Order: sequence, then structure tokens, then C-alpha cells
Amino acid sequence: MNHFDEFSRPEEYISPFDKHFRRLLRKTLDEFVMPYRRKYDEDWKDHHLIEPAFDKLMAELGLQKALFPQKYGGWGLAQSDYVFRVAYMLCEELGRADTGMAVALAVTFWPLLVIQVEPYVNERLLAEFAPMFCNATKAVFAANAMTEPQGGADIENLGLLGGKTIRTTARLDHDEWVINGHKLWPTNSAGVSKLFGVPCTTKLGSSDPNDFAFIFVPADLPGVTQGGAYEKAGMAADKNGDIWFEDVRVPSWYRAHGPGKDADAFYQLISFGQVGSIAFLTGAMLNLYERLYEFVSTRTYNNRPLKENDAIAAIIGRIAGDIDICRILGYEAAMIGDRRNKPYGRPLISEDLVGRIRNIKDFVSDRAVDCFGKAMDVLGLYGADRDWDIEKHWRDIKVVQLWMGGKQLCQMESARYFFNCKTL
Amino acid sequence: MSRNVDDLFVYPGQVIDDESASVVRLVRQWADKEIISKRMEYRENYDKLFEEKRRKLNLDLGLQKLVIPADLGGFGWNSLSNAPGILTILTEIGRADAALGVLSASTCTALAMIAMEHHLNKKLTSAIAPAFAGSTIRTPCPILPGPGIAGTTHPLFKGRAILAEAKAVKDGYIINGASLRPLFAGAMADLFCVVCAGKNGKPCIAFVPADAQGVTRSSPLLTTGLNACVNTDVTFHEVKVPKENVMEEDGIVEEFYIWLNLFLGGVSVGAALNFFELISDWGETRVIKGGTTLKENPLCASVLADVAEEIALARLLLFDLAQIIARPGEMTGSSITRTFTFAEMIGSRAQQGVLRAINRGLELMGSAGYSKEWHVEKHWRDVKTIQSVLCGVGAEAPVKMDTARFFFNCTEI
Repeated sequence: MNHFDEFSRPEEYISPFDKHFRRLLRKTLDEFVMPYRRKYDEDWKDHHLIEPAFDKLMAELGLQKALFPQKYGGWGLAQSDYVFRVAYMLCEELGRADTGMAVALAVTFWPLLVIQVEPYVNERLLAEFAPMFCNATKAVFAANAMTEPQGGADIENLGLLGGKTIRTTARLDHDEWVINGHKLWPTNSAGVSKLFGVPCTTKLGSSDPNDFAFIFVPADLPGVTQGGAYEKAGMAADKNGDIWFEDVRVPSWYRAHGPGKDADAFYQLISFGQVGSIAFLTGAMLNLYERLYEFVSTRTYNNRPLKENDAIAAIIGRIAGDIDICRILGYEAAMIGDRRNKPYGRPLISEDLVGRIRNIKDFVSDRAVDCFGKAMDVLGLYGADRDWDIEKHWRDIKVVQLWMGGKQLCQMESARYFFNCKTL
Repeated sequence: MSRNVDDLFVYPGQVIDDESASVVRLVRQWADKEIISKRMEYRENYDKLFEEKRRKLNLDLGLQKLVIPADLGGFGWNSLSNAPGILTILTEIGRADAALGVLSASTCTALAMIAMEHHLNKKLTSAIAPAFAGSTIRTPCPILPGPGIAGTTHPLFKGRAILAEAKAVKDGYIINGASLRPLFAGAMADLFCVVCAGKNGKPCIAFVPADAQGVTRSSPLLTTGLNACVNTDVTFHEVKVPKENVMEEDGIVEEFYIWLNLFLGGVSVGAALNFFELISDWGETRVIKGGTTLKENPLCASVLADVAEEIALARLLLFDLAQIIARPGEMTGSSITRTFTFAEMIGSRAQQGVLRAINRGLELMGSAGYSKEWHVEKHWRDVKTIQSVLCGVGAEAPVKMDTARFFFNCTEI
């Protein structure tokens, strides 16, 4: 094998957009991210180094307008048959460079998908928010303000809980929603985002999907307060903090779709988030291979290159094999999403689809955690060394395993699908 | 049942005598009072407080001279029978901060190599002891064999490349070696304990003062964990050391590995015990599915069980190793190879177990797992750093080769 691009993927799944745009994106990342990424950890608070790279990717290259329809100045990807596979390609390339940057960028798409993907399209809101992203000369971020202090990822466990643990409320007052609540940990919080998508409830303690609301809240409105960024083990390009909503008023039409439909449109996000997560992981794994290849070719055990020792070859062979399998699975997960409108596919709101994709995410997460840990051990004395990049990915990809309900919620969603569990 | 970790994670306490037990208690009190009860303050002023706590531990409590013989002003824990006691103390320090733990482990290892009764290097111990028994913090730093450079034939220690050389001259040795990678703390070290190739490539250990002429260091490295133990590459160019600074006895490098595996294992188990305390708190106070305490959910409980099991087994295994070491005759002659093999197996297994415990536990903590605010991520990074550097090169392969060599008489691997 001559290049990491040769890791398997089902070629018939690849979008026509893939080849050329991947090359352009990789070139941008190689020029504006790769040379600086080893310094990102120390830049976690100020983003002096990170922000210019976001400007290049999101504004100059134009990624932030990718989802919006062409009539609003976007690229129209949200309504493409390839949206999952193109998202996979983007997230994989970004993940190869820096998974923190990848998630910050991809999460900007996340709340906007609630109003962009058929059959849940809200033209009025698209027209309202498109200029914010399509006419900007600097990076513009959005965030999904989901997690709440009590219950963590319960909000993503809609299948069981139906939103009954949500404490952020929305009250209709004439032609405005009045929002109150406390969210924590959203990607792109801590002052980064201009726009929040806020899952909330119109009736506290209700598990009726009709009482679930997804409402857009511009970050600069009175009553929105954001805390500073949390300091974390990794993912410095992704800022997370607290957001408080105190009697925040937005127009009534800032609600995504209305009773019942909001819950369905929001539920679609789970699969987008999981497929993106898998792509972050396989992207990072491609970079793992690049760096590991160099080490095992130039360093020795028993005076032979590491890769030529049978015992060590078995270890690195397993790592590469896992990368290959995970990438195939990742593209399969993306394809499951892109089959959503086909007669043989499942809609994004089906528990079957969510269960299958979560299962792949759980598997790939486990393999990634193992592969990076093992690769650090192969490097031994150099495994913890920032200059070899693998340790940074090791810190970052653990975060990917833990988010969105983490491993255990993935296991439960899988069990629900495969065994028709009713009470998990 | 009491929530005291010693009541939960049983270990053969009878192998620790009363005097040792009182020192262990003292260190436990230091850890609780100085660090564990003030985690937030400690994290926010880490650079300053790390040095302050280290001084208190090493100088005020005097642990720096733990392994120095009593007649040279130390505690006199320089008998092999002290192995369980030293292990316990390092566990207590690791529970507070693994970075403090590895520096103490490094000190204990360096001193054990020269001061243990079974091969006391009287001249070197006498030369070094005053510094360790004095009022200044001392930082020894281990440099082990590791990966070699492709295209170069290196002298080997059981397959691992020895990149430093000790050449005997009339009144001592000349040490050479370029860009050597210490396990940790290379930038802070005042004494390097470096495995060298001696006459005919035979492995030996040189004790090289950091201020000796010809010692240079490169820029500080950024590393996953143990961030207070700043590391860097080290070069020795024609560094002259006295004769007694080089130890060439058969089995001396094996002994170096034995102590490092035991002591660093203790540090990692200590970090894991504190992780256990933190995740216990998390499991008791967090609610999922709208009402169930995390620990009462069967899936989460099974993950918590994995955490406890790994920590408990790692601790027991390390005590087994300490008792093997303490047994007469196990650290000398032909027995050293067996003890080395067990140290490698147990050390590797303990590190992997502890890391698995933390990795699994993190799964239940979501974002709190990687937020610095909750402190667990530091244990995770620190332990992973210890575990990786102890591998040296090639992940578990070298330890597997050592094990196969011992149990199956392999001669060509």
C-alpha cells in the first residue's frame, strides 16, 4: 500500500462531489491546519491560531454555506441525495487534521439540518438565516444547545424518554416564544456561535412529542448569557460552556416546524451526528496510519525495523486492518442515511436506522480508542510525545466516544433495534 | 461497608511492618490534606503548588531519603523487605498526583539501585546520600533502552536498543549518547540513571550528574500527561564520571526494570484509587433515564464493576511482585531473570488494567470525563503516559519476548 487513501471504501457509494472537493479541502487543511495543530492545545481559550484556520475553511472555502439552497447563496447539499456521504467526506478530511476543528465546523450544520432536510424544510427560516452564513467573510458558527445539567445525554434518548427530562421551557406569549433554561457543554458555545438551536419543552415533564419544541435563538438576544470555555483534555478547537436563557424572546415562527414535527426533525440529527462522529474517527485513524507508518519504518527492535518484527507486525497489522474495516463501516453508515428516501431505505426518524448507525458508531469508537492506545504503546518512549501527533488524537477521539450519550446509549439503541427491547 | 479504599481494595497489609505503616499513614494524611481535599485550587495554581507540595513531601516529611541507609542519614528502607512498604507509599502519592508519584518512584528506583543491602554501592551511595538527605529537592531521571534507528546496529538489552555507551578509561568512564529519550523529567533532572552499553556491548547502568561537562538537553517536550515532569531529549558527549558511577554487575539492568515496574505500578494504582473515589461519587449523584441513580442501572453497574475489578487485581498483583522481590535470593544470581520476567508481566498487566479501569469509567462520565474540572482526565493522561513509556518500544511485544524467552527457552527471538 502506497498511501492512506488506499484504505477501503465502497467506491460505488462515493459522490461525484468527492474527488475534487476532497483534494481542495485537503490542500487547505495541509496548508492552514496541519502546520499549526500541535499548538492548538495551548490556544484553547483564545483561538488566536485556530480562528484564522476556521476563517479559511468556513468563509473563504465556503463550507459554512454548504447546506443552504443555491437560491440563498449556498451549495444546496442538504437536499442532495448525497448529503450523508458528502458530510462523511468532509468530516473525515477534517478529522484527519484535527477532530476538534472537525466537530466545531460540522456542528454548525447540525441545528440547521432540522430545517433543511426533506421532509422537514422550513423555507422562511432558511431565508432568514441564510444571509448570516452565506454573506459572511468570517467564520460563522451555530450550535445545538441540547445537554442540560441534570440527566446529561437523556435528551438524546428520545426513544425512551420522549423529552420528559427537559427543563428548558418555551412559553408562547402572543407572537413570541419566551425561553428559560440552562444548557451546558454545547459545541460552539462559550461565545463562539451566532445562532443556537434549542430543544425545549412547552410542558414541563411531558413525554408527549407534541410538547417538544426546537426553537432557534440568535446568540445576541437579551437574556442569553454564556459562560467561558471549559478546559478539557483535548479538542481545543471546540469550545464548550454554559448557556443560560432568561426570558429570551424570539418570534413565534423561529420554532422549527411545530408540535410533533419538531421532535421528528430533531431526531433526524442523531444519525447525522453519529455518522459525522464515525467520520471524525476514521479521519483521525488515517492520520494515525501516516504517523505510525513513519515510526515503524524508521525505528527498530532487535536491530530490525519495527514493522519487520513478526510480533510487532501483528500489532500494527491489526491496527491497519481495523482502520480498513472501520472506514468501510463508516461509509456504510453514511449510505444508510442516504437511503432514507429510497423504497429499500428507512426514514431518518426510524429507530431501526438510529440503532444500526449507533451500533456502527459504538464499534468504530471502540476500535479507535484501542488503535490509538496501542499505537502509542508501539511508539513507547515517544508515544506520549506531541510531536508524533498520535497522542493528541488519542485524547481527542476519546471525547468522540463519550459524546451524544456515549457508549452505553449506543449499546441500548442497538439492543432496542436488534432485540426489540421495550423498556431500556 | 466503609468507603475507605483500603477496606474495599484488600491487600496483604501484614507484609508492612508497624514502622512502615505509620509512614504510610503520614503520606495518606499529606495526600488528603494537601491535594485531594483541594483539587480545584491545586489544579488552578498547579505550577506553584506542585513544587510546594513536592517540597513538603520530600523535605518536610523526608521521603526523598526513604531508601538512603540509616547510617547515611536516611530512613534506612534499603532492604528488599521494604519493597511492599515503598510500593504502598508510592501508591499513596500516586493517589494525590501521579506526577509527584513518578518523581518519587524515580528517586526510589535510583537509590534502590545503589543502596539496597544486597548490592550496596557504598562509595556512590555515600557520595550521593548527602544531597538526598539535605534540604534541596533532588530529581533522578531514568533512561532506558528503546527504539533503535533503522540502518544502525545497536547494542541490545533483550532486543531493545541501547543508545548510550560507557567506555572504561583509567580512572572512570566516558559516557556518550545522542538524543536519548528519558522516561520523564529529563528537563528537570539533576542525575541521569542511564542504561549504557559497556565493554563488548554488555548492558550496564551509569549515574551521570546533569551538571557534568558534556551534558546537553534539547527543548522541553509537550506530552500527554505527567506535565509537571517536564521531559526533554538528552545528549552526553564525552561525559566523564567516576568508576563507582557505573554498575556492571550481571542482572543490574534487569533489576532497574524490576524496580521501575513495581514502583510505577504503585503510582498508577494510586491514581486509579483516586479515580475510583471520583467515579463512586459520580455514580451516586448522577441520575439517568429521568430518575435512576447511575450506579443502580445494570449496564452502568457492570461498567463500575469492571473499574473496581481492574484496580483490585492490579493492586494485588503488584503486592505479589513486591513479596517476590522481598523473598531472599530472588534479586540475585540466576533468579534475577525470573523476577525480571514476573516484574515485566505484572508491571505491564497492572498498567493495562489500571488504564482499562479509567477508560471504562470515563464512559460513564460523558463530558465530565474529559473536563479538567472533574480531575479524572488528568489521571487518565498520566497513567497512559506511564504505561506507554514503560513499553519502551513495540507495545507489548518486548515483554512478550522476555516472557517467552523465560518460560520456553526461546533463543532466537
